[in-house]
Amino acid sequence: MAEKYDAIIIGAGVIGAPIAYELSKMGYKTLNVDKLPDAGEGSTAGSCAIVRAHYSTADGVAMAYEGFKYWLDWENYLDNVKDEKGLARYMNTGSILVKSQGHDWKKVQKNYDEVGVDYEEWSIDKIKKEVPVADLHEFWPIRRPEDPKFFDEPTKDLEGGIFCSEAGYVNDPALSAHNIMRAAEAKGAKFMFNAEVIDVRSEDGKVAGITLKDGTKINAGIVVNVGGPHSFLINKMAQGVWEGCNIKTKALRHEVMYCPSPDDYDYLNDGYHMSDGDIGCYIRPEVGNLFLIGSEDPECDPQEWVDPDDFYAGKGGHGKDNVLTEEQWKAQCYRLGKRVPSLAVPNQPKGVVDLYDCSDDWIPVYDKSDLPGFYMAIGTSGNQYKNAPVVGRMMAELIDACEKGLDHDNEPFQYQFKHIDRKTDVGFFSRKREINYNSSFSVNG
Amino acid sequence: MQIYVCVKHVPDSAASITIIDDTGIDKNITFLLNPFDEHALTEAVKIRDRIGTSEVIAICLGSKDAQTTLQSALAMGADRGILIQSGENHDSIFTAKALKIAIDQDGAADLILTGKESIDAEGMQTMFRLGALFDFPVANNIVKLDIEDGYAIVDHERAGGIINTYKMPLPCVIGAGKSLNIPKYPTFRDVVQARKKVIKTIALTDLNIKKPSASMKITKLESLQQTREAKEIKGTAVQAAEQIVQILKQEAKVIS
Repeated sequence: MAEKYDAIIIGAGVIGAPIAYELSKMGYKTLNVDKLPDAGEGSTAGSCAIVRAHYSTADGVAMAYEGFKYWLDWENYLDNVKDEKGLARYMNTGSILVKSQGHDWKKVQKNYDEVGVDYEEWSIDKIKKEVPVADLHEFWPIRRPEDPKFFDEPTKDLEGGIFCSEAGYVNDPALSAHNIMRAAEAKGAKFMFNAEVIDVRSEDGKVAGITLKDGTKINAGIVVNVGGPHSFLINKMAQGVWEGCNIKTKALRHEVMYCPSPDDYDYLNDGYHMSDGDIGCYIRPEVGNLFLIGSEDPECDPQEWVDPDDFYAGKGGHGKDNVLTEEQWKAQCYRLGKRVPSLAVPNQPKGVVDLYDCSDDWIPVYDKSDLPGFYMAIGTSGNQYKNAPVVGRMMAELIDACEKGLDHDNEPFQYQFKHIDRKTDVGFFSRKREINYNSSFSVNG
Repeated sequence: MQIYVCVKHVPDSAASITIIDDTGIDKNITFLLNPFDEHALTEAVKIRDRIGTSEVIAICLGSKDAQTTLQSALAMGADRGILIQSGENHDSIFTAKALKIAIDQDGAADLILTGKESIDAEGMQTMFRLGALFDFPVANNIVKLDIEDGYAIVDHERAGGIINTYKMPLPCVIGAGKSLNIPKYPTFRDVVQARKKVIKTIALTDLNIKKPSASMKITKLESLQQTREAKEIKGTAVQAAEQIVQILKQEAKVIS
């Protein structure tokens, strides 16, 4: 290839595209390569694209709250770029975090106070008024329908919830990545599709470039792994990188369901995003007056770690053809059916099956690597979509600082948020960290 | 009134089917209640709820796994279920015989409902064969059904959307069409209640079915290869609309 690049970014999803955008704005000549035909077509497209601030760490809350400011001001973030596909839209619904044994909501409340997130405490009566279809009994502990106790009658009421008005979802996650690609291109970034990376080359102990499946070699002194569910395969291609990570990533199969809202409830227009640890579900409205039902990965549910190439090729056993399984369909819909007694559950499962790129402690790895010039923004599981614009800027600044000589492993880069007055220690996301047992080890983050 | 609803355990239409040994499929996919049978069940439950003294019995010839389909039927409102358990697939000739004998053993049918077809075989045979075996009148693809004074008054939809109304004496066999009703899916409470209902399992061999003189068997399954190409319509909205009208008239021939 005749063109020369400063940085190659492997992946053009919602994290890969903003890294290109921010590096381009800083003057780097970037190329994103992606094995799929367009931006955001991989696991980004399967994201629920929920924007909410409740996380179990203050830094997690801060990053999500910072991310919220980008989604709110999407056109300006994109520098008013035109996208022939149109712009993704942020839909503000507000978010109810149910006070339950399934969430450490007191920690979230403390984090909200620390970061300065506006919220209200809602009583059961208030939730009932706002969400008239809800039954606010406590159903804890979370079980599966195969367990006879799943059907036990509840005896206690919940305590209430924490409502944050600044939350919602993005209506088209793939389109949002496409928007960022167009914004990045306007700053000079290049994107290459249908291009599968088969090798990350290094020379003299430094990254040298990539080799594509068709034999094309592209050279650059910086390579960034944003391979999503393929991230661990990319890390294994780069000399010493996999071995140098104390925290590894792997691909987790995950199902999200669409169930019609009860006839007399306009969930699409009147509904809230709700994180309901009491039943292990989160919900948001979806077009067609549907409930989108995600799982908060309760311990009783099986985890299926898969080979991403087999999964997307429709091979493998469970989840063959990337199709929902009846047992998980029933588990998630019936759990929500407890909270929303008028919810009617069709016999045919409908929803999305995709992969999480999941780290050992469900906290992402935003870091350099043991191979100079090779960086990674991986392990983003199901909860980093909302942070994508923040991660793009943070990674670009981290890469720039490291390339200019920062010893990030020993003196971690401190990232200054752009919209809120706070710094975050990027070392928190280090590949060298020990497993962080403060994590929720779930999509809750 | 005894209302029997014949249901079938079929592959999910969203599953991608892998053919094995030319005549079978890889069954490691989701199976569910045949969608047309959902209309039959919903209608049966509606009739039962109107006529207080009725009972809805869902009956299925299928493998042990078909229990889940009967559970779905119970959650949708059937009072009890009967599974004629068999390890193999059967044609509509045999299926109708098995259903007939099992229904006769169970009680006296005043009304037998089926879906208008199953989404896997799409045979539209079983309801007619049942009618012949019982010597009951049969109407398929019914979009409206009223029960009055020992008669079923039905709207039958023919090709092209033409409706004929028939008055059939009970007992009769009726195949539910898609426009008959909107299926009433179960709430969690319905699912809880369905757990208390009974599914009786009968071994197919216990029905002592004589081998029919005629039978059908699958000799070969082939996957349908659809070659469709996208075509871009260019021009202004008005020009595009004109082109679409031409295509609908001349190529698709759906308007004149």
